[in-house]
Amino acid sequence: MVLTVCHLYPDLLNLYGDRGNVQAFTQRCRWRGLPVQVKEVNLGQPVEFADYDFLFIGGGSDREQALLVTDLKNRVDALRMAVDKGLVVLAICGGYQLLGRYYRTPQGKRIPGLSLLDFYTEAGEQRLIGNVVIEAELAGKKTKIVGFENHGGKTFLNGLKPLGCVLSGHGNNGQDGWEGARYKNVFCSYLHGPLLPKNPVLTDYLITLALARKGYAAQLVALDDEIETIANQAMVERLSNKK
Amino acid sequence: MKLQLIMALLVAKIAMYLSKLSGQGRGSSLPGMLALRIYPDLLKQYQGQPRKGVIMITGTNGKTTTSNMLSDILVYAGHRVVTNREGANLITGVATAFIKASTFTARLNCDYAVLEVDEAAFPGVTRWIKPNQVMVTNFFRDQLDRYGELDITISKVLDALKQLPEDVKLILNADDPLVARLTRETGQAAIFYGVRPDEALSSAAAYSREAKVCPFCGGMLVYNIYIYSQLGDFRCPQCGFARSQPDIEAVGVTSGGSGTQATICAKGLAKGIWPMYIPVQGIYNIYNGLAAFAAALSLGVIPEKAALSLSTFTPATGRMEAFRYGNKQVTLTLVKNPTGFNQALTALLAQRERQDILIAINDNDADGRDISWLWDVDFEVLTQYLEQFNRFICSGQRAEDMALRLKYAGVPIERLTMEREYQRAVEAALQGEGAVANILATYTALWPVEKILRQRAERVSIGANRVPSVS
Ligand SMILES: [Zn+2]
Repeated sequence: MVLTVCHLYPDLLNLYGDRGNVQAFTQRCRWRGLPVQVKEVNLGQPVEFADYDFLFIGGGSDREQALLVTDLKNRVDALRMAVDKGLVVLAICGGYQLLGRYYRTPQGKRIPGLSLLDFYTEAGEQRLIGNVVIEAELAGKKTKIVGFENHGGKTFLNGLKPLGCVLSGHGNNGQDGWEGARYKNVFCSYLHGPLLPKNPVLTDYLITLALARKGYAAQLVALDDEIETIANQAMVERLSNKK
Repeated sequence: MKLQLIMALLVAKIAMYLSKLSGQGRGSSLPGMLALRIYPDLLKQYQGQPRKGVIMITGTNGKTTTSNMLSDILVYAGHRVVTNREGANLITGVATAFIKASTFTARLNCDYAVLEVDEAAFPGVTRWIKPNQVMVTNFFRDQLDRYGELDITISKVLDALKQLPEDVKLILNADDPLVARLTRETGQAAIFYGVRPDEALSSAAAYSREAKVCPFCGGMLVYNIYIYSQLGDFRCPQCGFARSQPDIEAVGVTSGGSGTQATICAKGLAKGIWPMYIPVQGIYNIYNGLAAFAAALSLGVIPEKAALSLSTFTPATGRMEAFRYGNKQVTLTLVKNPTGFNQALTALLAQRERQDILIAINDNDADGRDISWLWDVDFEVLTQYLEQFNRFICSGQRAEDMALRLKYAGVPIERLTMEREYQRAVEAALQGEGAVANILATYTALWPVEKILRQRAERVSIGANRVPSVS
């Protein structure tokens, strides 16, 4: 058994230390002795989504994002099929927006997304920037997730399940109190920082889901998470003191 | 109105005097800020006053070092120079530099103004002061949450350049596609400097490259050789945009503990070959030296004089600043973005002695509030030489995040220490078992750490034993 990670377009989508998400996922597998490998897929390269256990899509600048919508459009049917069969996906920031129905620019132009998930994004007047704490429910347990957001678009979920509710920060749009989106095993979020290293509960949940999909329903071995916990709590405390 | 100007200068000069008394004066932009509040048009008073010209240095990395190198060369060549030496590079810092050098009626007596200007502040500063030369060092990702994305930063600089008089001369890094593009886009004349593409310098690290996409046609750039980050011998197969042959080129670059050397070949400005030695480590310092050298030549300085001045260069605070504590060699380095941090790590690895490392990370506005860039730094290289490192002490407001980054890079937990207090963190580095201590800090952590170091250790110049005698 080997868990296979697909890092989609690392050449183009690598803003805000996104590489760290792939690193956290793979390191936490390795520390437990779970064999794991990463394949980087770049523009124009063939990809069989069905062969992967975990797909990561990061954020890029507008210029870079426009380039790859075209590229991904050709692959969207295969991706949709894999998602329906439980492929574990983490999409951050620009990668998140990409999966929705459209992005509406300040001029009112609709740039179509992949329509994998039923949300939409509109350009806001101001960028939403800053440290964030949200509360999410993962495997029936409430957990505090921390990160940093920096996005111009405001995302509205259309009834889709969010990743969590905002305790401090802006979240999807600064209005409805939600952050991120969930659909089957797809997790979307505006939080980088990167997201996974400082939120080991989420990382381990993604690993568990990926294993379960492969037919391994084992309990993960506990790791020494002292530094992760301190880093996470330091931000939770800082932001709760601010209020 | 004139009275208001004198008021503004008076207030600023009193603030300068007071901060000097309290020992907090370095790198300050407070006097300029106060003066601009009283007299917003202040900078206009200085326009045209430097007799021979104004040179501005902008770009992401190397501004402070390059600007200090150039002003040192010009002073050495016998000119009077006004400069913002300690890296206060916003409009307030530029104002401070002028106020400091001028009379109470804003009169200057100088040949040149050499000004380091922050990329985001460049449009604002050039509104008042028209430079005769603009040097652009490089464009890397820096403090994203302050400026938005890199594209926006570049277009701000580009738009400001287009507003300048036609006869402005650009001095550009030929190896950075994001910089080299500026001459074609502005139509302004440029002098190019660069490092000759050489297999031996080629770096394998593919992280945090910025310019994968051609700025003109959107095609993917192809590289023969990467020097570091997106610097190198690039070419766009689609539209033909490519590295241009530099007017000033460094050949055979080597860098080690005692400094960096190369041979400079010049074509356009002056013809000839000169040896260059800079008493600071790191290939990036060759770029800084080349830029200063190119600017100096274009201002008519004799090449030998420029090279000699560079060989006695003393770095500013936190630019590989050297200290001695007993027998221990201590180096303090400012880190502010992935490219600069990677360069600093390369310099650490070049030291063969066993060392203790202190990394102090803050997330104030001046540091960048978003610290996710730490994950774009290639800390993984350290774990290939773990036997070289004793302890990693993580400090500053984001000490935990730094420790976490190192943990995921593969540093064993038992070698990691978290110590938010600077005093205790510095002490731990000084008392470490290593023969060498290397301290890396972000902007707002740098000053307090440097203050402690100055109390505890002795400041030395790396090149002190190598300075050639000036006859
Ligand atoms: Zn091109």
